Amino acid sequence: MSLRPAVALVAVVSAALACDAGLEPEPICARGLVGVCGTIRFSGTVPDSTDNVFVAAYTSFPQTCTQLILNRRPFIPSSVPYTDSVSLYSIELLPDTYEWVLAVWKKVGTLTLTANDTNLLRVAGYFRSPADSTLPGSVTVPNGGVADSVDFRVNFDSLRPATDFVTCTLR
Amino acid sequence: MHVALIGLFALQAAAGGGGVVRGEVRDPRGAPIRGAVVGVPGTTLYAFTDAAGRYRLAPINPGEVRVRAAAIGYAAATTTITVADSARADFTLDPSPFELTPLDVVSTKVPHFGEPSTSVAQVSAQDIARRAVNTVDEAIDKAAGVQILNGQINIRGSTGYVQGLNSRVLLLVDGVPMNQGDRGGINWDLLPVDQIERVDILKGAGSSLYGSAALGGVVNLTTRDVPTGFHTRLRVTGGVFADPPHPEWSFRNTTGTAGGADLSASYGTETAAGRVAFGARHSDGYRQQDARDHWQLAGKGRWQATARTRVDVSGAWAVDRYQVPLAWCSRSECDDRGQIFQPFKVDTTELGARTDSRKGYVSAQLRTVASDKFAWQARGSWLRTNFSDYRRSATEASVANRVGIEARAEAHPDPARTVLVGGEATFSDVTSDIFGTHSQSEFAAYGESEQRIGPARLTAGARLDYLAVDAGSLTAVVSPRVGGTVPLAGGTLRASVGRGFRAPTMAERFVHTFAAGFEIIPNPTLRPETGWSMELGHTTPVLGPVRIDAALFWTEARDLIEPTLVVDTTPKIQLQNVTRARIAGLDATLLAAPIPDHLTATLAYTYLTTQPVLAFRPTHLLTASADYAPAGTGGAWGLGADFRFASRPERIELEGFVDPRRVPVRVLDLRASWTSRQFDVRLLMANALNYIYNLVPETLAPVRTITVTASWSY
Repeated sequence: MSLRPAVALVAVVSAALACDAGLEPEPICARGLVGVCGTIRFSGTVPDSTDNVFVAAYTSFPQTCTQLILNRRPFIPSSVPYTDSVSLYSIELLPDTYEWVLAVWKKVGTLTLTANDTNLLRVAGYFRSPADSTLPGSVTVPNGGVADSVDFRVNFDSLRPATDFVTCTLR
Repeated sequence: MHVALIGLFALQAAAGGGGVVRGEVRDPRGAPIRGAVVGVPGTTLYAFTDAAGRYRLAPINPGEVRVRAAAIGYAAATTTITVADSARADFTLDPSPFELTPLDVVSTKVPHFGEPSTSVAQVSAQDIARRAVNTVDEAIDKAAGVQILNGQINIRGSTGYVQGLNSRVLLLVDGVPMNQGDRGGINWDLLPVDQIERVDILKGAGSSLYGSAALGGVVNLTTRDVPTGFHTRLRVTGGVFADPPHPEWSFRNTTGTAGGADLSASYGTETAAGRVAFGARHSDGYRQQDARDHWQLAGKGRWQATARTRVDVSGAWAVDRYQVPLAWCSRSECDDRGQIFQPFKVDTTELGARTDSRKGYVSAQLRTVASDKFAWQARGSWLRTNFSDYRRSATEASVANRVGIEARAEAHPDPARTVLVGGEATFSDVTSDIFGTHSQSEFAAYGESEQRIGPARLTAGARLDYLAVDAGSLTAVVSPRVGGTVPLAGGTLRASVGRGFRAPTMAERFVHTFAAGFEIIPNPTLRPETGWSMELGHTTPVLGPVRIDAALFWTEARDLIEPTLVVDTTPKIQLQNVTRARIAGLDATLLAAPIPDHLTATLAYTYLTTQPVLAFRPTHLLTASADYAPAGTGGAWGLGADFRFASRPERIELEGFVDPRRVPVRVLDLRASWTSRQFDVRLLMANALNYIYNLVPETLAPVRTITVTASWSY
């Protein structure tokens, strides 16, 4: 066996096995995003009836169930991963100021886009005002920009019905 | 191979009676071979060569004697000489990169000049020097089937990672147990690597001879013998750490450096010798809050009291002060620069955490060769460890002692049989604000016999251990083992079955602290872990300069101690005997020397499967190494490379409570060297590709580090 093939073999095998990038930076906010982004820290026991968890935003705090169901942005949000202790989220939103950014827990069942949906939904957590953590914090999405560090917590052991926040009349 | 028998010398035999055989062991270029074993097979008589390649065997009965010399990386040689009072036998050993030192199991117990019945990996002083490392764990991390996880050794997936709270591998220094008295862990920097002659790694249960902690394997460090004459050695190292490969991970404005120096001096005659070594190191670390300082003092002495009796004493003391990067920074725990995690930074709530550590040992061994058929040995040792953890949340400290005594006898009733019997007692105590004040005692008796039947070699033995905590009731553990080797199909077939165990450490029983946001509560009722280990292996030469060694291994473990989440009023962690597990797999090593004496290569692969899935065990572990010394340069220049791959572990402990990020390990080390008679300079580029990875949660593994090591020997 000559030296050159042996060295080449070692080099090729090493390079092939070593070409993985390993750990890489993971920005919280996707590049080019216009909207809000941040992290959600989860705690508590995930209920067996969980369908998904999503993040929604409201330009003004909903006063009725109709507003609660129909004014949310995005109108039909996508789910965020909730099985890890920390989840990242990025949601596209139009530039504006949002008074309520929250995580919503959804029970297994079909949404009808009516007030009855509140039977399937719970407020799991929301972004809190840095000045007064008992109140929701407002978030401003600048033109062509992003509101980052919109971080909040979800405790699956204290999911709250929407009626704690909004007056609803259910059929 | 050729043997140069110089002849007989009419010298007076040393006091104590019997003849003496002296000589030298050299390679074909005339360079001395250090650490070779020279002995009379089937007797108690053996010795190791010193730095000048010299050995001395005594007392030899007058008449014809068969003397055999063997060393790692060289073909063994045998000669028969006639001894009156004194004789000389010099050996020239030809390179054979596949050869291991012919020692039974891993200690300097009984040379047998045959294949061991259990897999053994060896790291020689040349390997350590070639890799230009500063601690032993860095040197053995490249051995086949071995993985170091943040300081914890795994042999074929034995230990996993439990933050230093135990070890299922026993560390011996010259045959003396050195696992900590409180936590049972291993201090890899207890000894300067410059003082180590050889590391032997026994894979599989070794409790039949070594008792507790030898559940997954045994690592024996053999320190360098003290040569005759005056010798001194200076070793200086300096290096730099690579900066983070991405600007968003940057954490300092300067480049991190590391450096140190070791100085040793020795003087010896054939009757007595001594060596003292001092060293210091500083490292800025490769990440935030990772600086460390290390000082050490080590010594060794020998006294040939009579021709039949030798006394060895050794000791070391090391002091460390190191910052502790407890966990990398996750979102919002530091200036995260918009990143989900910052592997080079730490959680600011733990800024300033550091540990002060002091540890040391002294040991003394007495060996008397009563005749060529009987020898006995006694030893005593004291290991002391002391650490203080300083954190913002709490200060924790522990002082532990481990005192051991052992006596054993070795008999060769006939040339085909060897019998070893012994007794051992160990007393450990701890005084700590997290482990409390406790003590543990272990008493043991063991015996092993080796019988040659034609070309086959059979060994059988057992050990009985009694354990007591705080002078309470005794727990008995029996650890039998049988093994054998048979020449087969041009190679050697080996098989062994043995039982291993590990007594719970005092830390595991009594720890009460907080970690990762959890309260860790004690469990005084822990039972010993036990496990049956089986191995079937075969080593054979193939295709001329290529040799393959393959082994199937299987361990059935019971009562493994694992951290368990206990839901009380609040979630807590307690160590419990919860797991019955099966660890099985395949070890295969291919050694090739396509250009003997100039190019050698090793490819080692370990496949591991566990049932249930145990944390921190990679399924695939691969190591590839190559060393090249250009022809015509007299071996003065050398190039080498090591590559390590470990697959991403399927499971980690506390999944869901810690950052789950983990990636496979793909690390390439490159090295170059220049050596002359007195000087050598070595360049090491560890993790040359600056692969960013972690072995345990939230803990960044070392980045690319370029180190230059220069040594001068006199």
